[in-house]
Amino acid sequence: MSGLRRVIAADLQRSRSHFLLASIGIVVGIATFTFFIALSQGVRAVVLGRIFPLDQLEVVPKSLDIAIGPLAIGTSTLGGDVIDDARVRQINALPGVETVYPKMRLTVPAIALGGESLLGADLRSEIVADGIEPALVAADVGAGFEFRDFDAEPGTPKACTTDDECGERRYCGAPAGTRLERKSRNDDTGRVPEGTATVCRDYVPVLASEHVVELYNGALRRAHGFPKLVPDSVLGFTFELVIGSSMVGASNKGHLVRERAMLVGFSRKAIALGLTIPLGYVRRLNVDFGQPEDAQRYHSVVVMVPNKNDVAAVAKGVSDLNLVVADTGAEQAALLIAIFTLIFALVSAVIVGIAAVNIMHVFFMLVYERQHEIGIMRAIGARRGDITRIIMGEAASLGFVSGLAGVALAFGASFGFDWISQTYVPDFPYKPETYFEFPWWLLLAALAFAVSFCILGAFLPARRAARMEPAAVLSGH
Amino acid sequence: MIRVRGMRKSYRTGKLVNEVLRGVDFEVDHGELVSIVGPSGSGKSTLLHAVGGLDRDYEGSIEVDGRDLRSLSDDALSDYRNRSVGFVFQSFYLLPHLTVLENVALPAVFTRGTQRLGDAAATARAREVLEQVELGARTDSTPTMLSGGQRQRVAIARALFNRPTLMLCDEPTGNLDSKMGAQILALFHALNRDAHITVMIVTHDSRISAATPRTLRVEDGALHDERRELGPPVPSAAVVPAAEAP
Repeated sequence: MSGLRRVIAADLQRSRSHFLLASIGIVVGIATFTFFIALSQGVRAVVLGRIFPLDQLEVVPKSLDIAIGPLAIGTSTLGGDVIDDARVRQINALPGVETVYPKMRLTVPAIALGGESLLGADLRSEIVADGIEPALVAADVGAGFEFRDFDAEPGTPKACTTDDECGERRYCGAPAGTRLERKSRNDDTGRVPEGTATVCRDYVPVLASEHVVELYNGALRRAHGFPKLVPDSVLGFTFELVIGSSMVGASNKGHLVRERAMLVGFSRKAIALGLTIPLGYVRRLNVDFGQPEDAQRYHSVVVMVPNKNDVAAVAKGVSDLNLVVADTGAEQAALLIAIFTLIFALVSAVIVGIAAVNIMHVFFMLVYERQHEIGIMRAIGARRGDITRIIMGEAASLGFVSGLAGVALAFGASFGFDWISQTYVPDFPYKPETYFEFPWWLLLAALAFAVSFCILGAFLPARRAARMEPAAVLSGH
Repeated sequence: MIRVRGMRKSYRTGKLVNEVLRGVDFEVDHGELVSIVGPSGSGKSTLLHAVGGLDRDYEGSIEVDGRDLRSLSDDALSDYRNRSVGFVFQSFYLLPHLTVLENVALPAVFTRGTQRLGDAAATARAREVLEQVELGARTDSTPTMLSGGQRQRVAIARALFNRPTLMLCDEPTGNLDSKMGAQILALFHALNRDAHITVMIVTHDSRISAATPRTLRVEDGALHDERRELGPPVPSAAVVPAAEAP
């Protein structure tokens, strides 16, 4: 250890009770700073990473609706709010865009039936669904499952009479696209046309958003007394889709299509509240219940923008194509988090600032107490700079140790906070295991913050110490 | 050689100005042992501090070995104090939280350039000077564990650490009893005689001034130079090795 560092260490040791008291403010301030910044980082990761991902934009057609009383009349009503293949290619060509995911909404009412094997009771629910290119969600499909348009594959299906004849994850049913006749407008079952032979079919693969599970676990299951679901364990769950039927009787179509579906994965690209299936199924159903041109009418495009700095430029490019970025709330959420972060950072800065003033008082007192020692050090050859370095060295050391203690306190508080949340707070949608993120730069910033404020606090006392006239302090003049 | 010319110094207290030195002139040759006496507040310590480069706020000039101290920068003056001057004060001014060894080696912390000693060399040198003042066995003690005479010897060892050519002592026996004071005085005589260090001692004690061959008496702002023939040298309790001689 160099001589100056030894002097600093000895001074710190000697004045440890003074420094302990002086450091309390810094420790509390740094702990506050670290705790709240880590909290905002953690919340930001959940809100912007899972709820409102910032690296993907959902692009939709501009809606030119006019409100007439409670109704909006315009392009959305007239079916003008669609994007065709040419427009998808234009979006894909925008600088900063990595990939685009065209999505086609199922424009036919549909009902999902089933759930007894999972929940103990059958559920019947109106559903919304959209279709997406399977290749774009390949990474989200559960192990051992497939997400593709099985019905588009060539070949003659194998005839069957029972599910057992068809093998694992297949069933025996009417051929794909079989129109079922309704006995009445409210008939959900339908009747297979006479003479239709049953064949082995693959389940329609379904992806769901994590939002669905979060909402179910956080709210719905309590209302119905159902068990909590773990996303991975529900993969393979099967249910029935009745397309063309609705719980709103007036929306029922003249015929039905019944399909069996299987949950094969969870994806951020899946529709938030509904089901996402391979694009081919949706395209065929929309054409079946609508017009041939419906095969090229997409309702939105998910645009992946890996670099957040490109988001603004991509949004402008999209706007130039007469499209808009759907408002996901991400900007507002990011702004809100930034405001809270700023407020807490300011509160921390005020605490640390007040602590720095306290440190200044302590150092002024110490300089006064040690004036003879400073005088003798000057007498034996210490330069003014040496005296400054000794005082500043003590302040920096105090700041470093206080900063470490503050960070440790923040860590401890965050563990306590998480433990209380896990133990006592009921589940809610997107409840995280930890609310905190401690990136390396935050720890460095906390230490730098502590050291800087301590040095700032000791600046004037150090200057006074360095300017002491040794003859005056040694002779008492 | 120390040459002081026309030195004036005054202190201001509110509107009152007290001129303690009114244009004093004197010279001190290498290897001299000089006492400075005078009433309290007469400017003895002021004179000593100015010669030691602790105070530059005066009129006139002070040259030490041809260097005008007032023309030196603050850093250069610090280096002068570090390398050429050893101070001994009445109140010892030891750092209470450092050991005896660390106190003695403290000047090494502020030495710059090629003369700077490494840790091991500094420790060895500190042990050497502590042996000279017969405190070689107390290196790990703290100042509070020592008697007044021992503390003053530690302060002398610290002053000797960088082999100064000039030793400035401000009432070095003021806090000691007569027996201890005599031992310290004998040590200064030995350092002056054997190591040829120039020693200037500010004192109120007439026995000390009587034991020095030359006395500068400061009175009413003026300086009176008195020289006397001394008898046999004062016996020394300390042994200053010949190697200390320049």
